[in-house]
Amino acid sequence: MNKLTYFPGCSAHGTSEEFDHTLKLVMKSLDVQMEEIPDWNCCGATSAHVMTENLALALPMRNLVLAEKLENKTMGIACASCYSRMKSTKKHLDENPELARKINSTVIDEGEYKGIIDIKSMLQYCVEEIGLETIKSKVTRSLSGLKIACYYGCLLTRPKDVTHFDSPEYPMSMDYLMEALGAKAVEFDYKTECCGASFSISDTEIVESLSGKILEVAKESGAHLIVVACPLCQSNLDMRQPDIEKHTGKKFDLPIMYFTQLMALAFGFPEKELKLPKHIVPVEAALKHIGEVIPEAEKVKKTKKAVEAESEVE
Amino acid sequence: MARVGVFVCFCGANIADFVDVPAVVQEAKKIKEVKVAVEYKYMCSDPGQGMIRDAIVQNRLTSVVVAACSPRMHEKTFRKALLDAGLNPYMLEIANIREHSSWVHQKDKKAATEKASDLVRMAVAKSIANEQLHEISVPVTKRALVIGGGIAGIQAALDIADAHIPVTLVEKSPSIGGRMAQLDETFPTLDCSQCILTPKMVDVASHPYIELIPYSEVIELDGYVGNYKAKIKKKASYVDFSSCTGCGACTQKCPVKVPNEFNMNIDKRKAIYTPFPQAVPNKPVIDAEHCTMLLKGKCGICAKFCEKGSINFKMVDEVIEREIGAVVIATGYDLWDPKPYEEYGVGRYKDIITSLEFERMVSASGPTNGVPVRPSDGKVPKNVVFIKCIGSRDEAKGIEYCSKICCMYTAKHAILLHHKVHDSHAYIFYMDIRAAGKGYEEFVKRAQVETAATYLRGRVSKIYKKGDKLMVRGEDAQIGQVVEVESDLVVLATAVIAPKDNPALARLLGVSYDKYGYMSEAHPKLRPVETAKAGIFLAGCTQAPKDIPDTVAQASACAAKVCGLFAGDTLKKDPMISTINNEFCSGCQNCVKVCPYQAIVTEEIPLGHGSKELRTVAKINEGVCQGCGSCVAICRSMAISLAGFTDPQIINEIVAI
Amino acid sequence: MITLGLLEKNTFLEAVNKKSGANVLECYQCGKCVSTCPVSGYMDFPPREVMQMIKLGLKEETYMANSMWFCLTCSACSGRCPREIDIPAVMEAVRHLAIEENYRSENKKVKDIRKFHDIFLDMIKRYGRNYELRMMAEFNIRTRNLFKDMHLAPKALLKGKIPIGHESTKSGKAIRKMYKLVDKLEKANK
Repeated sequence: MNKLTYFPGCSAHGTSEEFDHTLKLVMKSLDVQMEEIPDWNCCGATSAHVMTENLALALPMRNLVLAEKLENKTMGIACASCYSRMKSTKKHLDENPELARKINSTVIDEGEYKGIIDIKSMLQYCVEEIGLETIKSKVTRSLSGLKIACYYGCLLTRPKDVTHFDSPEYPMSMDYLMEALGAKAVEFDYKTECCGASFSISDTEIVESLSGKILEVAKESGAHLIVVACPLCQSNLDMRQPDIEKHTGKKFDLPIMYFTQLMALAFGFPEKELKLPKHIVPVEAALKHIGEVIPEAEKVKKTKKAVEAESEVE
Repeated sequence: MARVGVFVCFCGANIADFVDVPAVVQEAKKIKEVKVAVEYKYMCSDPGQGMIRDAIVQNRLTSVVVAACSPRMHEKTFRKALLDAGLNPYMLEIANIREHSSWVHQKDKKAATEKASDLVRMAVAKSIANEQLHEISVPVTKRALVIGGGIAGIQAALDIADAHIPVTLVEKSPSIGGRMAQLDETFPTLDCSQCILTPKMVDVASHPYIELIPYSEVIELDGYVGNYKAKIKKKASYVDFSSCTGCGACTQKCPVKVPNEFNMNIDKRKAIYTPFPQAVPNKPVIDAEHCTMLLKGKCGICAKFCEKGSINFKMVDEVIEREIGAVVIATGYDLWDPKPYEEYGVGRYKDIITSLEFERMVSASGPTNGVPVRPSDGKVPKNVVFIKCIGSRDEAKGIEYCSKICCMYTAKHAILLHHKVHDSHAYIFYMDIRAAGKGYEEFVKRAQVETAATYLRGRVSKIYKKGDKLMVRGEDAQIGQVVEVESDLVVLATAVIAPKDNPALARLLGVSYDKYGYMSEAHPKLRPVETAKAGIFLAGCTQAPKDIPDTVAQASACAAKVCGLFAGDTLKKDPMISTINNEFCSGCQNCVKVCPYQAIVTEEIPLGHGSKELRTVAKINEGVCQGCGSCVAICRSMAISLAGFTDPQIINEIVAI
Repeated sequence: MITLGLLEKNTFLEAVNKKSGANVLECYQCGKCVSTCPVSGYMDFPPREVMQMIKLGLKEETYMANSMWFCLTCSACSGRCPREIDIPAVMEAVRHLAIEENYRSENKKVKDIRKFHDIFLDMIKRYGRNYELRMMAEFNIRTRNLFKDMHLAPKALLKGKIPIGHESTKSGKAIRKMYKLVDKLEKANK
């Protein structure tokens, strides 16, 4: 039984409830005991670091201190944005001990910061700590027939000196994870292009433009759905999709799912556990492709590099 | 009784601004042995030297101290002045009051002046213990070894051979010609590369003074300037060159197909092959790594069809030795693998090729009959995007330098593309256009005006696929717009890099190389063709990226150096080397182990006069010793002495302060 | 037209370098950041030009530009920069300096963005965690765009996409104390 400290993030019990719920289900199947940090606070997301220097460090600091109290080696974070803030803060503070002490003093009631916990995104944890072989062994319902565009967004693999995970330009971890579930991951050139992130509310036009392009390229690559690992990306691509369709005149019909939802499905959990009604763009039609046979001609021959990288990841 | 002359230089303002020169002269006069002490503005000038000469004669000086700049500047000059005045040139000591005082203590004139006086005092004390030394003569073998048979090696070999000096030219691949043989046309004249190269290749093959050893590598080099011994491994070609007529029947019949490295792996060659039609020598070799007969003992079709019976599967590698006086390193360059540019999809998209691949395609004798084609579907491209600075000038990718030739050959590619595909259009993404040679700027203008190539200033950020086209995105900074070019083919001007075997070869030869693997020149400004090791010279891209005119010039320069080295019957050597006093030598051989030049060996000498019993002592090879002093330091018996830095000399210096 | 040669010292460049930890002088204007940046088309001056402006010491123009407010901190540019300059850090440094020195752009989009961030940070101060619905409502009110995203409301609220209620940390006191202590820290640094 592996123990993992878990930071859910603000959207976990709301906007991205389906992410949080299916994550907990699949982690249980994979023998991982998740310990949610008691009384965690918002990491500050974009606004804190955009507007402030010290508050942007203090908000994650409180969570780090609380997390270290749980005494697990690793903290897993579902939301890519929270992951980026927490890990960047930790890196900055570990490199500037004097500053760390000052920031710690603003939350000294919670405890002293020791800098001992390792932070991974949940995707990273699945691929690096649990491993694709283990995940493959839990699959009872293969997702074969499903063509998926894996969208990583900006923060799972960038900046490279913070995440130390996969490639910042053309990562393949989620692709290999989907293939371990039996699905086919299509070649997708826009897998790390920004969706518009926090401009969702303050400048929706930007999100429509950026997310629109991602949807367009995903559609052209022949995907049935897009799989993501970040609540903000999911919201931008899903909730804003009808508006994008209206303003561009293009039709996408691309549901946006979390990788944990697909894992839960493949592990044999019933569809109602996936909380599909929460999706703005309906998912059911895409899932009907499961079980279809992909014609030989369409099967993309993996480049030698991909095969080599594959064997590295596993 | 020692009679020392002290000459203190102002060096213009270099010394005088921070050191009180007259004060130093006055201090020097106080030393008992100093018979004359003067100052002068520029001691190295003719009048300055004249001053030294006259003073030596008039004052019957026994040694001279010049307080001036570093001995690396003018030691030779002043030694000659001593010689001209009839004094042994090694009775000179230089006190470096510029680099060691004036230049490093600019904030405290008083302290700097005191230090300068100290340095002078030390030099005077040392010079009193100086011994008269004489240059050593070593014999010289008048044969040159040229490593590498590209245009650099070919030119160096021809120039040396034309001076009636025998040359051994060793080339790793089956034929000479190197990179130039792979080029289609050369800038700025658009000469057909092979047409201007092959006459030189033929000259090499037929020159009475050149011994061409193809398909071979240098595996060992011992010795010192004028007296090297080289071991060369001739790789087994499995073809007897003396009987082979080069008819090509074997190549036709061979069933094995292997990626053709001469054509940048665009097409295939056979396991028995000549690299290209104009190869010199034009005899095939068998690639042992892919020949079925050599690997598994099956096939042998080539031997069956060879009318002369020249194929011999039992051939083995052969090691030969040559005595050499000088070496020219001309190993050329490699091209960087652009795989790290993940943002361009290198390795994922077939229609992204390197500049040398493009060059092979547009070559008339190349794998695609002189027309560029898309690797994915074989169609002729209309929109071709050329991207410069791939790897070059990109610290994130590990290469800081500029590769020098890409701006010019990209302009050339634009012109060649225009010639081969009339309705094509070239788009060139660049950061700068470097066209500094003769006729180069005019050539770039020609590319821009004649072909209407679109030059876009901005590094490409991403390449992605749209249907069967490649979308190339970059900023055009001149109009401040992000542009995307819908292209059929993308050509990457990848960085020039040192051959990957350079470091190993450098260590073998005993020369240094830089962090990129380029061979190190002795001085980047004034000694660009010499290495720090006497007798070993550099020509071409092995030292740094350069174009053909500069390569040929550097190769001829090497030849001039070699001829200069071989001009006399002997070579003169600096006498400041170590000698061993056998009386004290215990034969512990620590010096043998510590000598970086392997200049010390052991010898057996009789225990005493007329004794039959022998004992081991160390013996220093005068010719190899560079006078570094490592052996002196490590000798526990104090048996070794370094001329010019003997114990009495050093102790005098120490006592003086 | 800009006249140069008037500054004795480029204190702006020094301040940006110090705050960001990068060295703007290393930028050789290759433009890779501009075509990488997903929002460079929205900026008055794309990243490459901001670098040049800092090198020229054009403090006012840089502070009043909208460039740093559009930066998504997606780090795509710094990942590709051949000189490995931390461009998001430079953008952030300019932004923080502008805030510290009280420069406020009149550009409506920039004002809206600033309002959004102020509201977000206020939410956290109150509740310790984000309260999306209230945040969106306040944003609409303060930007005088009451009906923005209203068309999404029925579907989103019904499906629970945007939760109606909110969660808070139990220790609201701890959060408010943190805010206060951070404030003190900032004042002490000045």
